[in-house]
Amino acid sequence: MNRLAIGRRTALLSGVAAVVAPAVLRAQGEPIRIATLTPLTGAGGPYGPVMAKVAAAVVDEVNAAGGVLGRKVQLVSEDDQTNPDAGVRAARKLIDVDKVSAIMGTWASAVTTAVAPLCWESKTFLCTVSGADSITLLPHQGYLVRTQPNTVLQVTRCGEFLLSLGAKKAYTLVPQTPFAQRSIEVLGETMKKAGGTHGGQIYDDKKTTYRTEVDQTMRFAPDAIFCAGYTPDTIVLLKDLYRAGYKGKIIGQAYAVNQKLIDQIGQNEVVEGVYTYAPSVAEGSTALERVKKMSGLANPDPYTSQVYDHTNMVLMAMAVAKATTGTAIKDNIRKITQGGGKTVDNAVDGLKAIAAGEKVDYTGASGPCDFDDKGDILDCKFRYEQVKAGKATLVKVA
Amino acid sequence: MLNYLLFIATIGSIYGLLALSLNLIWGGTGMVNLGLAGFFAVGAYASALTTTTGHMPILAGWVLALIVGGAAGLVVVLSTTRLREDYLAIVTLGFAEVVRLVASNEIWLTRGTDGISGIPGPWRVALGREYFNAVYLPILLVVLLLVYWLMRRIDGSPYGRALRAIREDAQVAQVAGKPVLRFKAQAFALSAAIAGLAGALYGHFTSYIAPDLFLPLITVYIFLAVASGGVGSPAGALVGAYLLIALLESARFFVELIPAVTAVQRAALKELLIAVALILVLRLMPKGLLPERIPRAPLVGGKP
Repeated sequence: MNRLAIGRRTALLSGVAAVVAPAVLRAQGEPIRIATLTPLTGAGGPYGPVMAKVAAAVVDEVNAAGGVLGRKVQLVSEDDQTNPDAGVRAARKLIDVDKVSAIMGTWASAVTTAVAPLCWESKTFLCTVSGADSITLLPHQGYLVRTQPNTVLQVTRCGEFLLSLGAKKAYTLVPQTPFAQRSIEVLGETMKKAGGTHGGQIYDDKKTTYRTEVDQTMRFAPDAIFCAGYTPDTIVLLKDLYRAGYKGKIIGQAYAVNQKLIDQIGQNEVVEGVYTYAPSVAEGSTALERVKKMSGLANPDPYTSQVYDHTNMVLMAMAVAKATTGTAIKDNIRKITQGGGKTVDNAVDGLKAIAAGEKVDYTGASGPCDFDDKGDILDCKFRYEQVKAGKATLVKVA
Repeated sequence: MLNYLLFIATIGSIYGLLALSLNLIWGGTGMVNLGLAGFFAVGAYASALTTTTGHMPILAGWVLALIVGGAAGLVVVLSTTRLREDYLAIVTLGFAEVVRLVASNEIWLTRGTDGISGIPGPWRVALGREYFNAVYLPILLVVLLLVYWLMRRIDGSPYGRALRAIREDAQVAQVAGKPVLRFKAQAFALSAAIAGLAGALYGHFTSYIAPDLFLPLITVYIFLAVASGGVGSPAGALVGAYLLIALLESARFFVELIPAVTAVQRAALKELLIAVALILVLRLMPKGLLPERIPRAPLVGGKP
């Protein structure tokens, strides 16, 4: 039938072999398995790889110091491709094949929302860095914590900062996302409380020009604009605002208004004076110093710091529980994150203290890491910067 | 491991339904439908909303997904009667994007980009996680076999031959007295209905849908599946769909065997491996693994 002689049976057989073979080849051992599910490709691609690297560094360190409960820890890293469908498939593999007890570092809100039900149904613990409010409201039965402040906390702080700069008429431009509507509402409330006014609109993040959106914004005549999009759409938006001759203040999320954005715009006057804000890493903390060393970055982003915290917390919770299941982590994570005790900034020290029967209180690279019952963090510092001559310069951390 | 294989087989079967849908319209009738993800989404949302907001039984959701999917197909095909080939492809691609944008922006109906979570599955609570996959897969296989049987029936019927005639040359079919527009509209609506049903089955399986699930990527996957399986042959479409999902998932395990690469390189290698495998299939077997077999025309005036 074919000169190259790959018959249909051969082709089918190799397809079947492709699925079955690896299961046979993989070595059987008894390490404790935990996983990262970060975006290694797709829109989250700039963040996921470093996150996975730092988690691996923490695990290596713990293994070098003897592991957890006398067992080695094995980290499995999968790619969620910043896509919920791919994320679910990867999570299934982590839960059913690798049998991990915790999944850490899910980044995009849609991915986290899709993966979360798999985790609580299979009693696997999930640590996420996604910010959408709806996530901690899911019926997760405690199997979820997040180290990223939710929309209300983030946008309120943004509004307070704009007010402190003397803004009276603020305007929010936000792409359609799980935090879009809430962002507009929260900034509106914050402005009104201080006697200011506020307007806002939701745009589509895949457009190539925002002339109409900008025209509408200019009609409102705001003195401050909150651009709450991602990098690709914010590039277009900032250019269009510049062309329209907007002279007021602009503030954006630091994950969008970053060095990549400045480089891609290529004209410093377009981004000059733009403010950025982000949940701050715990500047000056010893934990952050460790993250810097592990990641090789002078300024690790908040997500990397958060995954460092996830890994440490999960391992210490296992040690306190003297068990390695997801349920054990769920029941014990708050025992090592809050409630006083010896302050530790890494799992190696923490595990030693726990083995010695001491109570520990973990303080991480992203903040104090104290959680409420829903799994949200209680407090977090924010870092405000301003772009000057093509470089982000620190305004304040508060 | 077993649970994971069941999960993958279920997703593969859903892709199989989509592949059958695409094969009917692209392989069978020659209309390029790049809006597959759109019909998939319409069905998923129709069924999810009937069973969550509407509190109707799951079966009602599935039936509704068929109807709404088919109706959406009719609207698209009747508004594009003068378009063929590339132009039809562009419009259908646009349709899928419109569906996705409506799903992200009409928050009152679709809950926007938060998506709809907690979609019920048949006996999900009673079965628990352990057995749900084992029960859902057979249900899905029954549906898949029914649709496959229907496709084979169409293929072998005079109706199927008329569709293939339209695929080869619509004008000739018209001259031969075939109602081309009606046949096209019927085939398109049926194909869209199947895609809608696939969407419903997907939603009730994973319990969560969101606009981000219905990006054009899924359409590309299904085109790949049908192309590598064999355009025009329902069995080929099915084999292609299972092959695709087997490739997507097994690549994960193969790259884990490669020592001394970082997680990022592994992710990139995985994508590379999938691409190479698909290129190889199409290079070595350009007509797909199970090419369409066109039966010889019966001899006129031969043996009685």
